[in-house]
Formats: sequence, C-alpha cells, structure tokens
Amino acid sequence: MIKENTSKEQINKEDIKELVITRIRAQMPSNFRLCIGQRGGSLSGAQMIEHIKEGDEIGEQIIQSHLNFIKAQSTGELITALNSVL
Amino acid sequence: MDTHIVITLPRWDDITEYLSSFSKEIVDSCKNKQIRITTVEKERVTRKGFISSIRKNTKMFIFNGHGAPNCICGHKDEELISLGVNDYLLKDKITYARSCWSFSELGQVCVGKKSGCFIGYILPFQFVVEEKWVSNPLKDNTARVFFETSNLVPLGLIKGNTAINSNENSKRSMLKAMNKILKYKEKGNRAILEALWNNYYSQKLVGNGEMTLF
Repeated sequence: MIKENTSKEQINKEDIKELVITRIRAQMPSNFRLCIGQRGGSLSGAQMIEHIKEGDEIGEQIIQSHLNFIKAQSTGELITALNSVL
Repeated sequence: MDTHIVITLPRWDDITEYLSSFSKEIVDSCKNKQIRITTVEKERVTRKGFISSIRKNTKMFIFNGHGAPNCICGHKDEELISLGVNDYLLKDKITYARSCWSFSELGQVCVGKKSGCFIGYILPFQFVVEEKWVSNPLKDNTARVFFETSNLVPLGLIKGNTAINSNENSKRSMLKAMNKILKYKEKGNRAILEALWNNYYSQKLVGNGEMTLF
C-alpha cells in the first residue's frame, strides 16, 4: 500500500513538472529572464526548465510559484483581486 | 526635517543591480523633499557599513538585496540583519525589505516582541527582465513595472502617508498593472502577470501600520 502511494505521488510530481515546463515554454519569450531570488543571475526559460528537471531548490521554487498562481486562478482569488481595482 | 532614512544599494549580481538601479527614484524623492537619506552602496553594504550609517534620528530602513526567512543580506550575501543577533536594530523603526522571504520569520519576530513596522515578502520577490538590458537596468521597460509598483511603499512613506496606506497603495498599483497587461496578448505578458501576482500576494505588513515617517 505504501509503495503504491509513493508511486502515485511520484507520478503526480512528474505530471506537475511537465505542466510547469509546458507553461514556461508557452509564456517565456527567449529574450526574457526571470529573477526569483536565486544568487548570481537571472534565468532564461531554458535554464528554468533545467532546474525543474534537476529537481533542485530553484526548480522547486519555480514550480511552487506556478502552483500558487494556478490556485489563485481556480479559487477566484485572482479575479476578485483584479476586479477590486476596476 | 528631523528624520533620517538608510537605504542599502548592493550591486554584486544582476538581481542586486536591478534592485539598486530602480531605487534611484526613492533617493531622488528624499533629496527633493530635503529628507536626510544615507545610501550604503556596493561593497560598503556590509554589516559594519550598515550599522555605521545608523543615526539617532534614523526612522526608516530600506533594504535591497537577497534574503532568507531569518536574515537580510548585503554585498555578496553578508548578513546585515540576523534573527536573534541584531534584529533589535529594527526596534521602533519602519522597515521595508525588498528581499526574499525575510517577512516570514524576521519580520514577525522583530515586531512581535518589540515595536515598529515591517513590510516585506513571504516568498521570493520576483521580476522579469529583458536580456539586452541586463547591463543597463534603467532602460528595461519590462522590469520597470515591478519596481514602480514596489517603490510605492517607501515613496508613500516619504510623502507622509502611513505604512499601511503605503503598502495598500503599492499592492493596488500591482493589481492595476496586471489589469493593464491583460488587455494585450503578447507572449511575455503572462510571465510578467504571474511574477506581479507573486509580489502582490507575498508583500505583507506586520506591526504598527499607523506609523509615519514624520
């Protein structure tokens, strides 16, 4: 049972990685760089994807940021906030 | 006016270069209003350099730089303020920390047991830049929106507004910028929108929001 859950969790994590990578490819032009608190420099879309694939700390931050936005969209928090200043 | 501000302006990587370049508006605003401001710049942004800039009448700190939940950093990540070590320096002060995560622990504790007001971020402060302007940030109109909106925190305080009003005004300006971006269907707009949302969501105030600079 534990093994099954672990496997399911891993599949979900891979799905989430794939989702975020697809979003990055769709929304980051090649001339844009993201600064997300990492030391050193800014990140191109390709570098962001690299970090996600490696599963390092920066990759996790990028994933978390995308999930936060998706959550804000799905709960209506984003649209409520945007409408409050119209 | 008998009030004094300290602003840190490290410039040792792309990120700190942008943070410090776009702080020019804040320094200029102080000078125009004849408010005393001490700029701690480049390699002088060390703990020693920062502490030596503090005066008896220092009322506000503006930090630019990297950070962590328990610290705010300066040049090459030297810790300027560390939780449990010298967070007492923020006592009775208005602090705006444009540094990642510092609100989550440092902001809470230093105001919780003492007094003052802390405005910072519970997540990394994000911004999007254009590659061609990395060596000349002030020409980067893509990055500009992130700093024009967050600068409204210190600029509001410099105008004499309360901390809570300055914070709310800054956050409202982020939402207005997002609404404007949504009107145009350019590929990069989505990335800008999401980074702005991150900053809107994570910019928080704790402590005495009624504090003013004067």
